[in-house]
Amino acid sequence: MVRKSTRFLSVICVLVALPFVAIAQTRMPQMKFSDRTLANGMRVLSVADSSSPTVAIQVWYHVGSKDDPDKRSGFAHLFEHIMFKSTKNMKSEMMDRLTEDVGGFNNAFTADDVTVYFEVVPSNYLETLLWAEADRLSALNVDDANFKSERDVVKEEFRQGVLAPPYGRFEYLLQQRSFAAHPYKRPGIGSIEDLDAASLKDVQEFHTTYYRPDNATLVVVGDFDQKQFDAWVDKYFAPIPKPGRPLPRVEVKEPDRKAEARYTEYGRNDLPAVGLTYLAPRQADPDAAALQIADAILSAGESSRLYNSLVYQQQLAADVNSSFEAREDVSLFVLTAVLSEGKKTEDAEKSLLAEIKKLQDAPVSAAELDKAKNQLITNQLRERETSNGKALALGEAAVLLGDPGRVNTNLGRLQAVTAADVQRVMKKYFTDTNRMVLYYLPEASKPAGKTGEGK
Amino acid sequence: MNTMKRLSLLFVLLSFPLVVCAQTPQATPPPPAQPRSGTFPKPVEETLPNGLRVIVIQRSESPLVSAQLLIKNGGEIDPPELAGLADITANLLTKGTQSRDATRIAQEVESLGGSLDSTARWDSSFVNVSVMSSKIGPAMEILADVVRRPTFKSEEVERLRQQYLDNVTLALGDPGSIARFVAARVVFGDSPYGHPIGGTTESLTRITAADIVKLHARYYRPDNAILVIGGDITAKDGLELGKRYFGDWQKPSASLPTASAAMGDKAGKTGRVVVIDKPDAGQAAVYLARTGINRKDADYFRGIVANSVLSGYSGRLNQEIRIKRGLSYGASSSLDTRRDVGPFTAATQTKNESGAVVADLLMGEVSRLSSAPPADPELTPRKAVLIGGFSRNLETAGGLVGQIGSLALYGMGLDEINRYINNVQAITTADIQKFAGTRLDAKTSNIIIVGNAKAFLPELQKKYPNVEVIPVAELDLNTALLRKKQAGE
Repeated sequence: MVRKSTRFLSVICVLVALPFVAIAQTRMPQMKFSDRTLANGMRVLSVADSSSPTVAIQVWYHVGSKDDPDKRSGFAHLFEHIMFKSTKNMKSEMMDRLTEDVGGFNNAFTADDVTVYFEVVPSNYLETLLWAEADRLSALNVDDANFKSERDVVKEEFRQGVLAPPYGRFEYLLQQRSFAAHPYKRPGIGSIEDLDAASLKDVQEFHTTYYRPDNATLVVVGDFDQKQFDAWVDKYFAPIPKPGRPLPRVEVKEPDRKAEARYTEYGRNDLPAVGLTYLAPRQADPDAAALQIADAILSAGESSRLYNSLVYQQQLAADVNSSFEAREDVSLFVLTAVLSEGKKTEDAEKSLLAEIKKLQDAPVSAAELDKAKNQLITNQLRERETSNGKALALGEAAVLLGDPGRVNTNLGRLQAVTAADVQRVMKKYFTDTNRMVLYYLPEASKPAGKTGEGK
Repeated sequence: MNTMKRLSLLFVLLSFPLVVCAQTPQATPPPPAQPRSGTFPKPVEETLPNGLRVIVIQRSESPLVSAQLLIKNGGEIDPPELAGLADITANLLTKGTQSRDATRIAQEVESLGGSLDSTARWDSSFVNVSVMSSKIGPAMEILADVVRRPTFKSEEVERLRQQYLDNVTLALGDPGSIARFVAARVVFGDSPYGHPIGGTTESLTRITAADIVKLHARYYRPDNAILVIGGDITAKDGLELGKRYFGDWQKPSASLPTASAAMGDKAGKTGRVVVIDKPDAGQAAVYLARTGINRKDADYFRGIVANSVLSGYSGRLNQEIRIKRGLSYGASSSLDTRRDVGPFTAATQTKNESGAVVADLLMGEVSRLSSAPPADPELTPRKAVLIGGFSRNLETAGGLVGQIGSLALYGMGLDEINRYINNVQAITTADIQKFAGTRLDAKTSNIIIVGNAKAFLPELQKKYPNVEVIPVAELDLNTALLRKKQAGE
């Protein structure tokens, strides 16, 4: 999942224990989950575990920024904020009263393909939260004043994420320029103009269209009794009707790139930056595991190839990164470098390309492959230390990979990746014609007479 | 509400008959069941003959172990002209030892799936590692090697110096970072907590390898260190690892230097209103900053509860600035308690045009804490926020190690984790009022705004005629004056 905009910034952690099975030398926790689908189409996944007196509740809606209505970029995310305002039976911010005020927390995020709402609360509040989530799935009841005030908040989020940080707009442009046809090209945070154009009517239509039980997955992990939980789900979620209307889905196919595309943009950054993107296969594609490994080899830690070459050896870059941004329809592999003082953007680009070529020309060593796998496994363990983290992993497997069981088998897929696999995907996707190059240079270096963006 | 009616009608028409007949869901939330209580793990500790304090805390739900070696001094020991020295020293630990160069250190520890993070904060420097429990032995060997036998080679010093200089350049492009730096200078003046912990362009240029070696020799010693190991490891195994890799670490014969960050006569002035004019800023960063309390202050729990009333999603700052007025994505405050008096800050980012309004709101809410202290219906939930956050933090290996390390660093009893909930619950409305009135007086607080001054200055000047405006190009973080000397001065 990528390009998340969240309700607010925070750090979260809770832990639940699970039985272990041995994978390689590590005891790898397996998630034993219950999986049922209600008559109205809502899927319910749950993991009962009482090692800590808390519970994580998540509702995954299969609607994201790619589903923003026409001329309403940023709408799915704005809508996510509105879901915390008045609903059928709740006053504005009542969700905060039911979570924060009792020692829990809530938040939500909007990604390209999904919108996820989550709460972690003391476990005796589980029924209360199931009621609350069912209520806001049933209907919203927002007034214009609340809508406008929350829209202002999102405009400040846009300023804080895109306008204020020196490289905020660079990241925004990297996404925008990477897609020709697919709505992924519209930034999930939107634009001030499109946000201003949004209305309360759009809110109701969006809720009617996408917030329906057959487009929702409830994921609950933590301290509860399974029977009691199932009964509460029947009581609060089962009565919500499934609409007869079809659920619209993005059908646009991103065309293959036919030639390298190059852009130069100017901003308020003092050090130049360069970004390369390659179209990559969708998240559920079998090649995804090898691309994850390639990503780790390129940029995980100071022994990674990009850090070692560009930052440590050549001292060309102050910061370097790569990421396999997995998406449901078509993914992106992104490499970026922020240059060190006095270095040339062209040299940084050449070095990034040289590191790609090395991975295409020769297989990685067994030691380097093992290192990448150990890094990815450790990260996964760390992400799953909390009940909320476990629920995120389970929800992602179910909604974006189409099979909750993948939460337990993804690791096996990573373990099975060979050096030849990595070399093969590097050759297959990192071609000259599949490349977009973006130079992001300081405003002061703009040649005289050029007008344009950057303001 | 026409839209709503149409929506409900649509549901009824299109849904299955059985569903239409289902009972109407209730209009009020079901009440909570009986709460279940949790327990915190118990730390086990031993001080080795060389003075090193080793603490182990077991929590085995996840197969991960975190280890942290803390040195009980950090940025506060930087000589005034060498800001950034403690942080550069900590960072260089992982860049070469007598038996490993930087590349090999990174390769070895990353092959274990972990990473070594070393840095200096205020009052401490530390090296952290977090790995799968099966890998903790080899990870501890590397951790001990970098703490005890770093070489500080000049080529590594040069490399890191350039990276730090680049980081300063990057930070000075961001209104939020500039505001943080300026706030520290305004509150602490020229005293030890006043400088940027990562240094300034000028101070970074002055630091030599000899300075670094000297700092390491003086402060990196077992009787000035704490080792905390937490997660999926028994006390016996943890203590044994501590002894194996640090037991023969010699304590120097020289006595441990005493350091103090107390402000003394170098304190900052109070009631300053400072604007850093950055005409291209995409948003204004607005800070209220003042002195707070130290970690051992008897008012500690009054302080953190008072801060919780202001901070957090439903705290007063976010209520007034974001939820009611839509002026920001978020506003929060922090009471940063240190060995000596630390800062209290209330901060947010807003569009340039709202800079002055938001500064007023920050000031207003800090004053209101004593003029309109929270009664129980407001106070009880803010305590719940603190208690919930504290408990969740102890449920990860990293969180456990961080909490226990912090208690140990400041000489607090480790069993304070078991008293935390009661200590928070005991705080009353009167406590908050007294604390706010005596320790967080708005009148002696400072305001810092970094943004496009043209958009908010006239309004700000009406209320604060004493406002100092400094163009970002003339900003000097090396002194409390904050302004570069002009030619002829």
